[in-house]
Amino acid sequence: MKPSSRHWFAGAVVLQVALGVSAAAAGPAWAGGWRAALVAVTVGNVLILGGIAAVVGRDTANAERSRGDAELNAQASHDQLQELIDNTSAVIYMKRIDDGRYVLVNREWERLFKVGRDQAVDMTDRDVFPLELADQLRANDLGVVTAGRTVQFEETAESDDGLRSYLSVKFPVLDNEGNPYAVCGISTDITDRKQAEQQIQQLNAGLETRVAERTAELEASTRELDAFSYSVSHDLRAPLRSLHGFSQALLDDYNDVLDEVGRGYLDRLQINVKRMGHMIDDLLNLSRATRADLAREPVDLSALAREIMAELSATDPDRVVKSVIADDLRALGDRALLRMVLQNLLANAWKYTAKLEVAKIEVGQTDRHGERVFFVRDDGAGFDTQYASKLFVAFQRLHPTAEFEGNGIGLAIVQRIVRRHGGQVSAESELGHGATFYFTVAAATEGKTR
Amino acid sequence: MIEGTILLVDDSPDDVALTLRAFRTNNITNKVDVAPDGEEALNYMLRDAESRPKPVLILLDINLPKVSGLEVLRRIRADERTRYLPVVVLSTSSEDRDIVESYDLGANSYVRKPVVFNEFVDAVKVLGLYWLLVNQSVLAPKGE
Repeated sequence: MKPSSRHWFAGAVVLQVALGVSAAAAGPAWAGGWRAALVAVTVGNVLILGGIAAVVGRDTANAERSRGDAELNAQASHDQLQELIDNTSAVIYMKRIDDGRYVLVNREWERLFKVGRDQAVDMTDRDVFPLELADQLRANDLGVVTAGRTVQFEETAESDDGLRSYLSVKFPVLDNEGNPYAVCGISTDITDRKQAEQQIQQLNAGLETRVAERTAELEASTRELDAFSYSVSHDLRAPLRSLHGFSQALLDDYNDVLDEVGRGYLDRLQINVKRMGHMIDDLLNLSRATRADLAREPVDLSALAREIMAELSATDPDRVVKSVIADDLRALGDRALLRMVLQNLLANAWKYTAKLEVAKIEVGQTDRHGERVFFVRDDGAGFDTQYASKLFVAFQRLHPTAEFEGNGIGLAIVQRIVRRHGGQVSAESELGHGATFYFTVAAATEGKTR
Repeated sequence: MIEGTILLVDDSPDDVALTLRAFRTNNITNKVDVAPDGEEALNYMLRDAESRPKPVLILLDINLPKVSGLEVLRRIRADERTRYLPVVVLSTSSEDRDIVESYDLGANSYVRKPVVFNEFVDAVKVLGLYWLLVNQSVLAPKGE
């Protein structure tokens, strides 16, 4: 049965109202946004059915007299609706289900496909589009009928604007017996959005490639660094051994030929060779502190500190140093690297208290700025706090070598290791009144809950 | 001290001279043969093995021309005739990977050469005492 045009107009009246309401609700942006249009049409679809029912109701209830008025109103409403759908950038159309012929198209449809609405009503998609596309569109339309509700499709169509992508919202239109007889569609051009999506995908892919490249570069430079410190370890130490060994041979075998001054020169040579050997070892440790894989294990800092203090006492048995090491200093981290931290801090404390008859070195834990921190404290020479920022920079020293031996790498190593453990290191001192070094690392108990 | 030859594998003439000096200082009087690269070390121990008695101790450097010290170690451990020879790796390196790999390949000991000569003399003294006096080596490997 072919539905009367009156029913379609009646439906259209309600659709217009629905569009108006939704538009008001959606705010001023509705005309440009396909989302707003989509909501409006979905609501409109429901109301079309209501509108048809209302008209049918009126048909039976009202007298012949009011029919003329109704048709006049309906015609006016139809014109308004046509106006509305002609003034949108969306493509709007309605096709019969049985033979696929167009019932209604809007101006945008006419513009894009170069077919006037008068010709369109006698045409199917096959008359407008290439066969394959036409059949796809028809299949989508029939899918809507089967679904019996609003369905969204992504469709493409070729026009003078080139190949464009559309988001098509399609819904069945029912006759007065509640049977679908047509499918109405609203297609929004989403080509730009698709292109943007594609661009984003390309950009993302490009970004990933760049990240991969940079990672490879970084890995390469890490390997270079590794190779460099390896060759430093081998190649720079070897000549030092010769220098020291043969100067020793001179001192041993030619002692009677050398005078006091000559022996003094050789002593100086050996002292410097020794110093350079330590420097190379420290540099290697610095590099190792950066390169080493970080283990995360509970570490007993109290035990480590006692061990290191015992070693220091053994190398310097004449010194009197009172060591106060708190029990239960526990941290979560890399045992070998944390040992290096304590080793450096305690060796410093040992060194800078060398001029005291009785020195005191403390290792403990305290609250500082609301944080639990470990500390190593001595009562030795201390340093001028205005130079504190130089403390942790490699090769920067605050004391002349003649006064205190050292090459300024120890604290740089400490800082690198502590930072790799996610902690901070800082120092406090007063010149002549000792120094305290503070550092944080994750506590062992925190680690267990992680 | 046990008699017999010590094989010193080292490419640095300076290091060889200093090592010999350290032997003398410690009154280690064993004959010392020197192989200046890995290939000669392998020839000495494997190819020409029949022409001379096996060394009683091998002091092996890692960084060697031609065939590396670690490769030398791998090959002599793979050969029945030299499998049990005491090998002390004597290297400048303190890299973990060198130490671990040396032990993986069957080194008996790993000693880092100190820069200070007197410390080196002490190290050689301890090595000599242990490997030439205290330690009991395999004298007749299986099959001989």
